[in-house]
Amino acid sequence: MKQEIHFVTGKGGVGKSVVAAGLALRKSREGKKVLLVELGDQSFFKDFFNEPDVAFKPRELKKNLDVALWSGETSLREYAKYLIKVEALTKLFFENAVMRAFINVAPALSELAIMGKITSGPRDYGPLVPYDCLVVDAYATGHFMALMRASKGMAQAIQFGPMGEQSRSIDTVLRNQDICHYHIVTLPEELPVREAEELKSQLANEFSLRPQVILNKFLETSVPLATLKEAQKDATSDLGRFALYLEQHQERQRGLYQETQKNFDRLIQVPLFFETDPWKLVELISERMV
Amino acid sequence: MITIFQETQVLVCVGSGGVGKTTVAASLGILAAKEGKKVLVLTIDPAKRLAQTLGIEGSTDITKVPGQNYKGELYASVIDHKKTFDAFVERAAKKSDSAKKILNNGLYKQLSTSLSGSQEFTSLEKLYSVFESKQFDLIILDTPPTKHAIDFLYAPQKLSALFSEGVAKWFRDPEGKKSGFFGHMLQSGTKQVLKILESLTGSTFIRELGDFFMNIEQWQAQLLQRTVDVHRMLVSPTTHFCLVTSFDQAKLKEAEFFAREIRKGGYHLKTVVLNRVFPHWLNLESNITGTSQNEELLQTYSKMKTYYADREKLYQQFESRLKKDVRVFRIPDLVKDISDIKGLEELGHMIAEGEKV
Repeated sequence: MKQEIHFVTGKGGVGKSVVAAGLALRKSREGKKVLLVELGDQSFFKDFFNEPDVAFKPRELKKNLDVALWSGETSLREYAKYLIKVEALTKLFFENAVMRAFINVAPALSELAIMGKITSGPRDYGPLVPYDCLVVDAYATGHFMALMRASKGMAQAIQFGPMGEQSRSIDTVLRNQDICHYHIVTLPEELPVREAEELKSQLANEFSLRPQVILNKFLETSVPLATLKEAQKDATSDLGRFALYLEQHQERQRGLYQETQKNFDRLIQVPLFFETDPWKLVELISERMV
Repeated sequence: MITIFQETQVLVCVGSGGVGKTTVAASLGILAAKEGKKVLVLTIDPAKRLAQTLGIEGSTDITKVPGQNYKGELYASVIDHKKTFDAFVERAAKKSDSAKKILNNGLYKQLSTSLSGSQEFTSLEKLYSVFESKQFDLIILDTPPTKHAIDFLYAPQKLSALFSEGVAKWFRDPEGKKSGFFGHMLQSGTKQVLKILESLTGSTFIRELGDFFMNIEQWQAQLLQRTVDVHRMLVSPTTHFCLVTSFDQAKLKEAEFFAREIRKGGYHLKTVVLNRVFPHWLNLESNITGTSQNEELLQTYSKMKTYYADREKLYQQFESRLKKDVRVFRIPDLVKDISDIKGLEELGHMIAEGEKV
């Protein structure tokens, strides 16, 4: 079976990570072996699921569902080890003070290493990633585009050598929509919706990609407007104020829903769940990830 | 006088992306202007309507915010990273032709502003140059969106480490005429390291990179000096940090971590703003529920109330773990998107009210 890769992105604070976990759980329930990938140096899922540790090496969360934390440095290190094959040399390279400083800031190197690791399965390059499906809890909008652009930019800047070749092959996989799937998470709020639209255009214009949108925390109620108006007559009561809030919220939500639906080919709506238990919440979200 | 601004010349608003940092920074600006200060809000990437409100859409000049009538004056500006970086290069490059050489270098053009930490660097660069000019009583900096609040403080160190570790020296002479890059490698016996880098990236990349570093080597002294100056400004007792964060368990844990780290670094964290904590209609203490025949309305109301009551418990734990000298403000969710002066004033008013409690 061909490996599938899902990127989950969106404006900061829209609930990307939890949606990514929901998607990953869904895929694992479909019988796939799934790896939920976090990017960067600090794990969200460690605190969220109260796990002892989340690191580069995958750790089992549930049956068929593992989690890992991949950073530029750890990905690069693994890649170097794979190429160099001698542990002592890899160590020499990464523990050299100059190299460390360089790797920390080198243009696009960290992004490239991460994307190289993520796409290593379909490219059949590097250490084996033994999963049917990767769900990447990717960076927020702006930084996500930096991830996407790293391989494209590097492929243009460096024509020859392994760096150029790798960059081109990463870029090719990222553009292949049979392998890579893009999900933009947004809230029924103005700013996240605007950012989702902008990101959609950038992905379309620069990579000919068609992402789907996940409208998160949608308040699903069907209280008739007349009832809301009636309750508002008692403006001093909590319920009266709540009715006013609900009316305004629903109106705004409806407008943004229509706009989002018009702009995207595929839209998934995830309701606002009043659930504080992490696994129960992820379970509820996974049911909507059809 | 509101204590946030007491003995404060620089207020740095930090926080991870999507928590409403820019909006909070702007409303703090209005609050300070109302108090009679000449204040500048430096923003990174304001949403379109907020930029329009501040009168800075499509411009990177320091602009007086239109339609204000305060005791003090409110100015705003968007930081243009490319321009700030280029200006720094031009100042730092001693000869003008070498500045041109850098600005024309392919790698620089492609990637100068994507050097990791470069947005943080340019933000601080801009902040410091305004600070030095002494034109304002107070400067409020809205920091670049990072995954974690703490990234902002680590980033400039990463960038300056590149120079203090002497990477530039390595690349100075790729032909090895002097005891440059290759010569240095051979001498120090770490030739292997270079070989590895080359096998990972290819020789073309190494050459491009060598050219890049050779050209920017002359920044080193300037950059290090700047890093020292900026750090001195950031740890000064008149520079205060304000952590803006949203409200969920993971974010609160991060805020606690941040508060500890920032103290360790010798910075002064004075305020934590928890944004959009609870909806404005919510009054957890009240028992007056009102009546309605509609079962769903009642149910939705009670579900939301229970949900927020649970969150209130989390919040209480959070506050008890913070040090006593940090003020915590809780801002309700106003449902609407705040982007006009009135909305910003309202938000500022809520912060000021929060101080009295």
